[in-house]
Amino acid sequence: MFDPKLKEALARVQKPGRYTGGEPGCIIKNKEDVDLRFAFCFPDTYEVGMSFLGMKILYELLNERPNWWCERAFMPWLDMKQEMERLHIPTYALESKDPLTVFDIVGFTLQYELSYTNILAMLDLAGIPLYSKDRDESWPLIVAGGPCVCNAEPIADFIDMMMLGEGELQLPEVCATVEQAKKEGISKKELLRRLAKIGGCYVPSFYDVTYKEDGRIQAITPNEECAPAVIHKAIIKDMNTQKLPTNFVVPMVGAVHDRAQIEVLRGCVRGCRFCQAGFIYRPMRQRDAELLNRAAQDLCANTGYEEISLTSLSTSDHSQLETLLDDMAPWTEKEHVSISLPSLRIDNFTESLIEKTTKVRKSGLTFAPEAGTQRLRDVINKNITWEEIEKTCTLAFNAGYTSVKLYFMMGLPTETLEDIEGIAKTAQQIVELYYANPNKPKGRGVQVTISCACFVPKPHTPFQFVPQDTEQMLREKQQHLLHSVHSKKIHVNYHDSKTSFLEAVFAKGDRRLAPVIEAAYRKGCFFDGWDECFQYDTWLETFREFNMDTAFYANRFIELDELTPWSHLDYGVSHEFLVREYKKATMAQTTQPCNRVCSACGANKLLGGACFDYSKDLVH
Amino acid sequence: MTTVRIWFTKTGEASYISLLDLQRVMQRSIKRSGIPVWYTMGFNPHIYMTFANPLPLGQESLVESVDVKTELEKVPLEDWRQALDQVMPLGIKVTRVTLPQYKAEKISFARYQLRMPLSAQTSVDAYNQLETAVILKKTKRGHKEIDLKQALPRIETEQKENELQAELLLTAGEGNNLNPSLWLNFMQEHCGLNATDVSVLRTALLLEDQTDFR
Repeated sequence: MFDPKLKEALARVQKPGRYTGGEPGCIIKNKEDVDLRFAFCFPDTYEVGMSFLGMKILYELLNERPNWWCERAFMPWLDMKQEMERLHIPTYALESKDPLTVFDIVGFTLQYELSYTNILAMLDLAGIPLYSKDRDESWPLIVAGGPCVCNAEPIADFIDMMMLGEGELQLPEVCATVEQAKKEGISKKELLRRLAKIGGCYVPSFYDVTYKEDGRIQAITPNEECAPAVIHKAIIKDMNTQKLPTNFVVPMVGAVHDRAQIEVLRGCVRGCRFCQAGFIYRPMRQRDAELLNRAAQDLCANTGYEEISLTSLSTSDHSQLETLLDDMAPWTEKEHVSISLPSLRIDNFTESLIEKTTKVRKSGLTFAPEAGTQRLRDVINKNITWEEIEKTCTLAFNAGYTSVKLYFMMGLPTETLEDIEGIAKTAQQIVELYYANPNKPKGRGVQVTISCACFVPKPHTPFQFVPQDTEQMLREKQQHLLHSVHSKKIHVNYHDSKTSFLEAVFAKGDRRLAPVIEAAYRKGCFFDGWDECFQYDTWLETFREFNMDTAFYANRFIELDELTPWSHLDYGVSHEFLVREYKKATMAQTTQPCNRVCSACGANKLLGGACFDYSKDLVH
Repeated sequence: MTTVRIWFTKTGEASYISLLDLQRVMQRSIKRSGIPVWYTMGFNPHIYMTFANPLPLGQESLVESVDVKTELEKVPLEDWRQALDQVMPLGIKVTRVTLPQYKAEKISFARYQLRMPLSAQTSVDAYNQLETAVILKKTKRGHKEIDLKQALPRIETEQKENELQAELLLTAGEGNNLNPSLWLNFMQEHCGLNATDVSVLRTALLLEDQTDFR
């Protein structure tokens, strides 16, 4: 049974099932048989973390080794955090309920810049010193992976080692190195030297960063012989060699995305210029339909899920998608499993896709035109046209859909108020399209939802150079959008610009932000990504105390030849390509998807050859 | 169509699964087990399930049950039990699979075992001295005053190792359900007991004549 203190805490908090573990599929091992213990930490709530596919992939992969044990830890919600502090319960892993301090490796996944303070909170609650320099061999090795590692310089001082790129091959190598180091009893410094030799492994303390008088970066220099000048991300050349996870831990308390997931492809061919994932996961690599179908069936049988989602950055770009859906049809129907395609593109949405995904259950229709005018869509390289939106919506209305959700961004480079009006106009045209459709569902109205996020310029994208709109500019644009909508059938949601601003500061930040983040955390900032917890004024006050100018990071144009905080981190896409794409953007020129024509971004070098067989027609 | 009753424990980790979550957990567990249960028809097909007298969050039980349906005429009960037991989360053990003899509406009483620290004896003594123990119970029609002394005139405790144990027999079932949490709330408010120190385990569901619900 549980520790009495934990029991007491659980009796007092909301949804205690988030803190107990024991879900179907969770792995319990005998501590005596284990040589290496890894705590996979997700610095957000259980509900968010349990939706994350990456954790499921690595959990299964590490636990396949009989003598390694990977467990999970999440950030406790406010009430539980308070109870844990009151009762002196340290951050613990759900499987063994052991505190993080007994683990050999504590690994954080960096999915979102605004979870940085949660990392500090989880370490602090575990009694682990925050700064890497304050931790000797007696503390767990603190590592981090995930997309934000492409510039996690703001938290570089807290993390012993970061992993660039894909973890499937790299993380087992890291674990084996730590296991060996443990046997040999070597120093932390020596261990870090060995880790620095593994592909994609980045030891921040092995690099010195110097700054110019104007605050920009002068140089990033290795201070250890073993540390490469540039760290290249790890990559899986052939996705078919990597087994898909078929044994998820099935959460018992509602996860945000509570369903089976099959990763059909990795990377994206589209090259939308705002999208960091579209660049750092290049090149696009897909898995064979046959392999996917088998894994999907096993996964559903092992988990009992009633819904399976075919996930990726752009699922409809899989060249065998129709085949896969056909293969899945017989068993999904028999087992009452519905298929969902979360990331469809408007330009290749077909009637048969609608039909195949709605056979069991109908899911909502969601699209992301991202910008309201063709000009701006060309700037961001979101290569879709009104005609395509029209065609897709007509198909959907014919199939009985009555609600459409549209995602847009605000504050995009070169954006004018005309582009903002274009958002409202697009929604209005869809409403009119619905009423003009003779096949629309009888007696039912249409609901068009506009969901508007604030654009955040991200490293390793062609828009890394551009300044973010100031908060005031974004607020004006939001008001303008509200005034441009004249129909009750159109509902507008927009995201708070205040959190987007902090996201921009962290995304393009450097190591000088570490003390600011620590100080803000000490003042009670955590769960910054949650509107109800975000303390904007405290953040501003803390930046002021440290004499830090947030506009330097968020609202300043980065010169095309400027050294960025992330210039030593290589994701395969060349700087020249990003500059080229940026210049094309300013002229509203588009770039073809990579499976149609190669634009020489440089990522093909990661595979050692061309990314696609261009003799086949891969674009549909 | 045959109705089948699945009996299970809900202890430890599983005691923190709410009824709403338990429905989903069961749905998926039954699916994983592969037993051929009946799905409801319609647009959103799901496994037909009815839980008898669900337990509040945080309490444990040895006698939970859920009814499912199957088109099989002869159900291999022990095979089903084994198949189900293998796929359950920690804290749920499938103890029996039976053909129901009574409808869940026939449940009239439940027996609970309470475990508390030795220090709780003073609170229990204080309760035993009381003439009345009136508490407001939320019902479908608003609030209702109940004197707990009617159902629980005295609490007898027994010292086992380092704790106190007590058995409560309370009315149960639709309309007349008295959960031990009512008594615990009263004890916390009026007799100085820390309710979170007390573990509640349901040990039996009984019919009107106090024989087992089966």
